[in-house]
Amino acid sequence: MSVYLELQHIRKRFGAANVLDDVNLQIREGELVTLLGPSGCGKSTLLRCIAGLADMDGGSILLDGKDIAALPPRNREIGMVFQSYALFPNLTVRENIEYGLKMRGIDKTARRRRSEELLAVVELTEKRDAYPQQLSGGQQQRVALARSLAVRPKVLLLDEPLSALDAQIRKNLRAEIRAIQRQFNMTTIFVTHDQEEALTLSDRVCLMNKGRIVQEGSPEAIYTRPRTEFVARFMGSYNVLSRQDALRLFGRVERAAESYAVRPESVVLLNGRNEPLEPGRRVAEGIIRSMSILGNVIRYDVEAADVRLTIDALNDGRSLPLAEGSPVLLALDEAQLLHLDREGA
Amino acid sequence: MDAPIKRTGAAPRALMLLLMIYLLLPLMATCIYAFARDWQTTVLPERWTLEWFGGMFKDLRFMESLWNSLYLCLIAVAFSLLVMLPAVFVITVYMPRLESLMKGLVVLPYAVPGVVAAVGLIRAYSSGPLNIAGTAYILLGAYFVIVLPYMYQGIRNSLLTVSAGPLLAAAELLGAGRMRAFASVVLPNIWPGVLVSALLSFSVLFGEFALTNMLVGGQIQTIQVYLYHRMGESGHLASAIAITYFVFILLLSALLMKLGQKVNGGLKR
Repeated sequence: MSVYLELQHIRKRFGAANVLDDVNLQIREGELVTLLGPSGCGKSTLLRCIAGLADMDGGSILLDGKDIAALPPRNREIGMVFQSYALFPNLTVRENIEYGLKMRGIDKTARRRRSEELLAVVELTEKRDAYPQQLSGGQQQRVALARSLAVRPKVLLLDEPLSALDAQIRKNLRAEIRAIQRQFNMTTIFVTHDQEEALTLSDRVCLMNKGRIVQEGSPEAIYTRPRTEFVARFMGSYNVLSRQDALRLFGRVERAAESYAVRPESVVLLNGRNEPLEPGRRVAEGIIRSMSILGNVIRYDVEAADVRLTIDALNDGRSLPLAEGSPVLLALDEAQLLHLDREGA
Repeated sequence: MDAPIKRTGAAPRALMLLLMIYLLLPLMATCIYAFARDWQTTVLPERWTLEWFGGMFKDLRFMESLWNSLYLCLIAVAFSLLVMLPAVFVITVYMPRLESLMKGLVVLPYAVPGVVAAVGLIRAYSSGPLNIAGTAYILLGAYFVIVLPYMYQGIRNSLLTVSAGPLLAAAELLGAGRMRAFASVVLPNIWPGVLVSALLSFSVLFGEFALTNMLVGGQIQTIQVYLYHRMGESGHLASAIAITYFVFILLLSALLMKLGQKVNGGLKR
């Protein structure tokens, strides 16, 4: 598939700080891309630049072959859903959904037809005459989604749409957004600071830090193969070891690198010293400092060779009877020792 | 006590009662005095009359001063609304960095005492190109400055409560021009709040005396200036005027509170 939306060399400064520092991104039609990153990394600003709500200091935005960077927001054919919903409180649900159609001069019957269609999609047909304040947060966000889809935008931007909602509603709405996005084959950019949200939703994840995209790839790739320490720390509770740490723990390490990342679930805890060692496995001795049960997983905090490691074991009743303070053996496949580049490389 | 639900203790109640008496007694006395004919040796007046009210309403100067106050305040508030609504909107939504400047500017009227302001204004505007001292124009200008804080705060708070920024962004992305977006999704939502600050400004101006008297007291009589002049003539008449004025402000305040409830209720729902 060809590129549908392309961001080229987007730059934005705010005073002396680079908010966006040469951002490049290509998105295919129908793809859902998440911009993931800590607050202040520039992801929301990037979204506002694409929408035309913020000015850029340089760069171009090509949508469907046309440069839209100089156009005002209303001519960009871009839909947006805000964290605060931004529904019009003086209009009913139906009037909210029809607002964009009305601004485009579409006649009443056609507006009605379209709004009924979308009310059905977001399952709010019964609430068509309610005012936004009478709806729950999740319902309001569904109205906002319907409102932005009503005008058939070329790209849909979602700016942390789930952050203001309860955990349960968030999960449901997340699945619903993904289903609707697939149904309409909607090219979508989803901004979030929640890595779990990004991993479950996206076709592709772009992890941002300090105004740059530091790594992009499929959820699978970005989770299992972090390239830098920042990515490793942000994407999960990776243990990041310096080369000295790794040497002290495992005696020798095949490949040289600045630092290494180890996923908590890839370390295996053994309590006997006489278990047979598979080739390529490294072993270290340690002591359990604390443990907590997260549900399906038990998380151990283990100290070994002056290094603190987080280790997850499946809570399936077959785990070792370990208590705080008890000594353990840690086993790790050398292949699970991920090599990290120097920061920013 | 055998009451199952004890709401307030006796001491606070007594204190409240005392406070109410303290506050309301002068008002009661004024009210009674305004309706009294003979009131010398008895606790309550011996004979009642509507004469003072009749005389007041028959006095052309009273009606004129009431009318003066009414239209001057209305024009000043309308003018302030016309200027401040777009100005505060632009500053709050598009230039938030100017807000600190505005905040400082807007409390200046509090910092300058009325008399000082009046003397300064008369000096500045009694010669030169803008020779408007003693006219209604200088008064309107002064009124505009007096209500500045109320209008600024009221409009700004309304804009922030309805998060005008995101609303406007949403409307623009849906294809509305800025003016149309403002008229269709911002104005209807801030209107109740703006109306409250306009009414508040109106009642503040209606009760303004010091600045008015010094600026235009000789030329234009507002209700306050009139009240001041007639105070010495007859206590009964002054009481009647005071009571009429009080009832007027009471009605205005009731309207204000009603509107305020509507604003809050609308947001809570």
